[in-house]
Amino acid sequence: MKRLIQTRLLAVNRAKKILLMCFTMLAPIVALAQEATDVVKPPKEFDPLHWDWVFIASAILVILIVLVLAKAFDIGALTEKLTGKKVVGWNKINAWLAIITIIASAAGFAYEMIYHGKYLLLGNSMSEHGSEIDSMFNWTFGFTFVVFVITEFLLFWFMFKYRYREGEKALYFYHNNKLELIWTIVPAVVLTFLVLRGFNTWSRITDKDSIGKDAREIEVFAYQFGWKARYAGADKEFGAHNFTLISGTNPLGLAVNTEVEALLADLELAIHGDSKDSIKNPGLIRLIRDAEDSSTIWQLQLKAYEAKQNTTAYPEVYKNLKAKAMDAASGTYKSNLEKDLRRKKTTLDRIAQYRKSKEFFNGAAHDDKITTEIVLVKGKQYVFNFRARDVIHSAYLPDFRQQINVVPGMSTKFQFVPVKTTAEAQAEKGDKDYNFYLYCNKICGAAHYNMKIKVTVVESDAKFNAWLVNQPSVWNPPATPAEVPAGSDSSAIKNSVVKN
Amino acid sequence: MTMPAALKTREPKEQYKIAPAKFNIWLLMVASCMLFAAFVSAYIVHKPDNEAKSIWTKFELPVFFTYSAIVAAISSITIYLAWKAAKRDEIKINRLFLATSLFLGFVFCLLQYLGWKSMIDAGLPFVNAKPQDISASYVWVITAIHLVHVLGGIILLAVTLARSFAYRVHKKSMTLMSVTHTYWHFVGLLWIYLFLFLYFAR
Amino acid sequence: MSTAAAAHAEHEEHHHHESFIRKYVFSMDHKMISKQFLMTGIIMGILGMGMSLLFRLQLAWPDEQFSILETLLGKWGAGGKLDPNFYMGLVTIHGTIMVFYVLTAGLSGTFSNLLIPLQLGARDMASPFLNMLSYWFFFVSSVVLCISMFVETGPASAGWTVYPPLSALEKAMPGSGLGMTLWLVAIALFIISALLGGINYISTVLNMRTKGMSMNRMPLTIWAFFFTAVLGLLSFPVLLGAALFLIFDRSFGTSFYLSDIYLEGVGALENIGGSPVLYQHLFWFLGHPEVYIILMPALGITSEVISTNARKPIFGYSAMVISLMGISFLSFIVWGHHMFVTGMNPFLGSVFMILTLIIAVPSAVKVFNYLTTLWKGNLRFTPAMLFSIGLVSFFISGGLTGIYLGNAALDIQLHDSYFVVAHFHLVMGSSAIFGMFAGIYHWFPRMFGRMMNNTLGYFHFWFTFVTAYLVFFPMHFMGLAGVPRRYYQFTLMKEFDVWVDVNKLITIAAIAAGIAQLFFLWNFFYSIFRGKKAEQNPWQSNTLEWSAPVKHHHGNWPGELPTVYRGPHEYSRPDREEDFFPQHIPDESTPDPLKSGKTVPAPEQKEPETTDSVFFSAIKRVFGWS
Repeated sequence: MKRLIQTRLLAVNRAKKILLMCFTMLAPIVALAQEATDVVKPPKEFDPLHWDWVFIASAILVILIVLVLAKAFDIGALTEKLTGKKVVGWNKINAWLAIITIIASAAGFAYEMIYHGKYLLLGNSMSEHGSEIDSMFNWTFGFTFVVFVITEFLLFWFMFKYRYREGEKALYFYHNNKLELIWTIVPAVVLTFLVLRGFNTWSRITDKDSIGKDAREIEVFAYQFGWKARYAGADKEFGAHNFTLISGTNPLGLAVNTEVEALLADLELAIHGDSKDSIKNPGLIRLIRDAEDSSTIWQLQLKAYEAKQNTTAYPEVYKNLKAKAMDAASGTYKSNLEKDLRRKKTTLDRIAQYRKSKEFFNGAAHDDKITTEIVLVKGKQYVFNFRARDVIHSAYLPDFRQQINVVPGMSTKFQFVPVKTTAEAQAEKGDKDYNFYLYCNKICGAAHYNMKIKVTVVESDAKFNAWLVNQPSVWNPPATPAEVPAGSDSSAIKNSVVKN
Repeated sequence: MTMPAALKTREPKEQYKIAPAKFNIWLLMVASCMLFAAFVSAYIVHKPDNEAKSIWTKFELPVFFTYSAIVAAISSITIYLAWKAAKRDEIKINRLFLATSLFLGFVFCLLQYLGWKSMIDAGLPFVNAKPQDISASYVWVITAIHLVHVLGGIILLAVTLARSFAYRVHKKSMTLMSVTHTYWHFVGLLWIYLFLFLYFAR
Repeated sequence: MSTAAAAHAEHEEHHHHESFIRKYVFSMDHKMISKQFLMTGIIMGILGMGMSLLFRLQLAWPDEQFSILETLLGKWGAGGKLDPNFYMGLVTIHGTIMVFYVLTAGLSGTFSNLLIPLQLGARDMASPFLNMLSYWFFFVSSVVLCISMFVETGPASAGWTVYPPLSALEKAMPGSGLGMTLWLVAIALFIISALLGGINYISTVLNMRTKGMSMNRMPLTIWAFFFTAVLGLLSFPVLLGAALFLIFDRSFGTSFYLSDIYLEGVGALENIGGSPVLYQHLFWFLGHPEVYIILMPALGITSEVISTNARKPIFGYSAMVISLMGISFLSFIVWGHHMFVTGMNPFLGSVFMILTLIIAVPSAVKVFNYLTTLWKGNLRFTPAMLFSIGLVSFFISGGLTGIYLGNAALDIQLHDSYFVVAHFHLVMGSSAIFGMFAGIYHWFPRMFGRMMNNTLGYFHFWFTFVTAYLVFFPMHFMGLAGVPRRYYQFTLMKEFDVWVDVNKLITIAAIAAGIAQLFFLWNFFYSIFRGKKAEQNPWQSNTLEWSAPVKHHHGNWPGELPTVYRGPHEYSRPDREEDFFPQHIPDESTPDPLKSGKTVPAPEQKEPETTDSVFFSAIKRVFGWS
């Protein structure tokens, strides 16, 4: 009896501890919920259907129920031990829970399908090849759904059916070649079918030979964090580009001579400094030369600051000064400047080299149009050429069932034919504000979630041209095919001019 | 007589077909093969198929690398002789060849160092400014990581030599000797393979 | 001296105490090391799960402010709003912790260490010293990873796959600074740990089996651990190579992965000639086998637990081994299916698609074999058994969606969408975690000499099972609608407004799942000290580990090692009174353990007399065998 009391005390103790643990977990959640409800704009009256409340209430309820049940079962088990009578039927409970699982999951699935089914990949594709992907999806879904239902049902049914029964012995059944052969071959056959279909679909979609002669090209440029599209201008030709030419005013790095001149001037200025105002802009070379001195000065400044002033008076000033002084003392300051100088010099060299190349002088870049929206014409084949400025992005067009990574230093492309205009899609979805977007689908930094560009499909070339005409050309075409810069390799340039 | 407590409490030892240490060194070798397989396949993938594009500098490997391959081959022979001597209980010969192998190991390191130096002199440092010189970076990585393996082998050799001087390498105590033997062959052969690869797949 | 000394030695054996440090800290005993792995794994698991709850809050209520975030995260949660950079950091570290620290080291490390010597009848691992090193490298690696979360610029935040250039360029995002460096250090240490561990596992399995323990008598757990170790041994070095290149690119300025980059605020970089896709190839060459490194130990544990608790031999032992082998082999040649949309050669894509879908066949065989093992069993619902059944359920749900994702054509649409998140969280996340729980509940008596509370175990199972499905199943629908993953919030995209409610549901379910784990933690830690004392063989199991004394013994068995007379799964043999028959107990039918190599000696095999299962009678009728 003493033992019994002890065990009971133990159980009570345990229950107390569980409660304590649960509440320590609950406390932040309650705090969080209060916080959440504070922000709910107008402090409305209690809304029983608001998620927060539902959640808090159910969390408390669940924990209480578990505690009560656990206690009850423990006491039950104890009685069982003392009286030798079966009280707790976990065997049965678990078995019946299996049946409930089957029913509940079927209901849950049906609910989801009813409420969200229309958003799925079930034939609402907006591109020509998209319907092939959708049909591939439907086939796969058909097969897997059947297998899913059968196997999951059997799993839980067996759990219910063959629950432990006292005195019964399991069937000694460890091997059956025929059965094993069947369930190796049947999946293999089904998969062969899916593979062949998938293979065909994939090859057709990615086939570069399917790009027709009259396919229209668009260049899409990705950067942290946004997209830009480029259409060839009046000359129907895309101008050359190079990443070394990218600058604030030339975001795509196009071969436009005026821009390059400006960029070169900027780089020179950064390296050699402003001769008129060398205090404001001493230039990298001089900064490096003076690095030791600046370091000493900063150290002295810091010491003076620490000696004279209360360091907490201007925390920002102090923090900056200290960071600067520490960087200088450790040599990071100087090595960073040197790195920067080397990088700028390399860029200068590369630009100089690139300017000698033939493609630089074809002049096609000047009339290109850089847009912040992509407009397509229904029923025409489009080829998207992608370029990335900094890190890997991924161009994802869920409505058109198309996606490809956009990789710096590597050009990628895909092609598709839009078959519905934006207006048609809006009518179909019953949503006047519905728009197609091209999203970024590869983690690319903090604002990854906000990197998209609108894609509009119009029904005719006339509409498209009307839109394109209104897009400003960034640069006016030069009067002569090339403004030959002094000091560059003249023969190469001549050749290119002649060719053009 | 009294025995040390550690000996007394030890469980009866089971005899195994292969000493665990020997087996482990084989597995370790498999792992490092995979590391070099990664490097080599990265090299192959990176190398353009199209020679005309030529984003890839073809350069003569420093002659020192050839010498080091020869040294690796010779030291493979000497370590074999050391192992054989130990098996026959010829302890002095064992020491001699172990020392020779160790010496050749140092020579190998020196040759690799000279090889690197001549690469720097030829304008092919580890970090390069020209895109096509990425091939040199690969040679640097492969040789450097291989040298790390060689250094591991040198430590093993030194330990074995020390043991040999303590009369602890002989017919009945061959585990360490065999491990060193196997591993030293491995790093030698690995270098010869890598050298040939770099030579032919430039 | 002989008898006196022997007696003395025996006396010594009972009273010999190792110092605290040798016994609990730098222990070389595989059982202690396995406990160390488990504890570290559980702590990392709590961290990983906690992180997922934090970013789930952000996804469900992006416009609300939670003071808890500011309390916990400081400047990263300023004003009760999660910082987008730190959101990425949380996602990255959550993935890293779960994949490597919990499900690789915590699962395979724990149970390989515990079970390989015990189930094979060995005194310890092949090299206890390397084994100890393996744990301590893992421990240091975990500490480095935890430290990386507190650096000024935040933890690594380029996703757990850390694709360069994002991860290679310090200026590309704050997390690519010191946080990324520490991440790489942590992973390098982890790889060393995994290699040392793996070498030991393989060498022990191949060399140190006790008398009579032929390969075809090894429990399926051991087979699974063995293939896992082989996979790790072959694939982790490749990750090391990839990481080395990344380190060189970051710290020395080489250009293995970098080319043609212009960074805002920096200008055009010097790096040129590299290929970012090269990293992805190297990474996924590990990355895909890693999936099976995670999953296979869980499958092995499940096989053992299901067989024991169904009181039936596992159906198709050799088919199970062959499918494990097939999965292991195939896992090395399918890495490209992670890269269908990188712009790879479409033909290469087709090859990878075909190879990928072949994996579905051995996986299907495994599922059907599990089902048949349950069929006509006498199922004892221990918590371990429930978790194993849960694993099979997740494995089916998640495995089937793999058929969508392995199909290159469908992957165009589904790549990096929530569908992928749902897929891998079910098939390797939840499955493997359930395998781990099954293992803990099943071998807890073996590890700690005490029993866990079953009632709490049942609650733990049902709550976790339901909430896991509630968290991951709705994600399929989001993915199919084209919702991209790793988005900080969806409020800027009106087209995703439909999913607001679903996101809330998922978060609530996730928090509920978190609460459910409290039952487990309580049960686990309480039972270590106060649980019911365990019997010698509490589950009436066949395998050798239950023949060793309950109280841990350095060297596992006092005296002789047990000899093995038969396969591991001979439950409910018709010729036996009892429904189990431990491997080490001799009987008349197999006098010489070394001669009979058969997995299961065939007593008269009785066909099921009457089949009340509709499914099986249908199959029988169709194929006409009796």
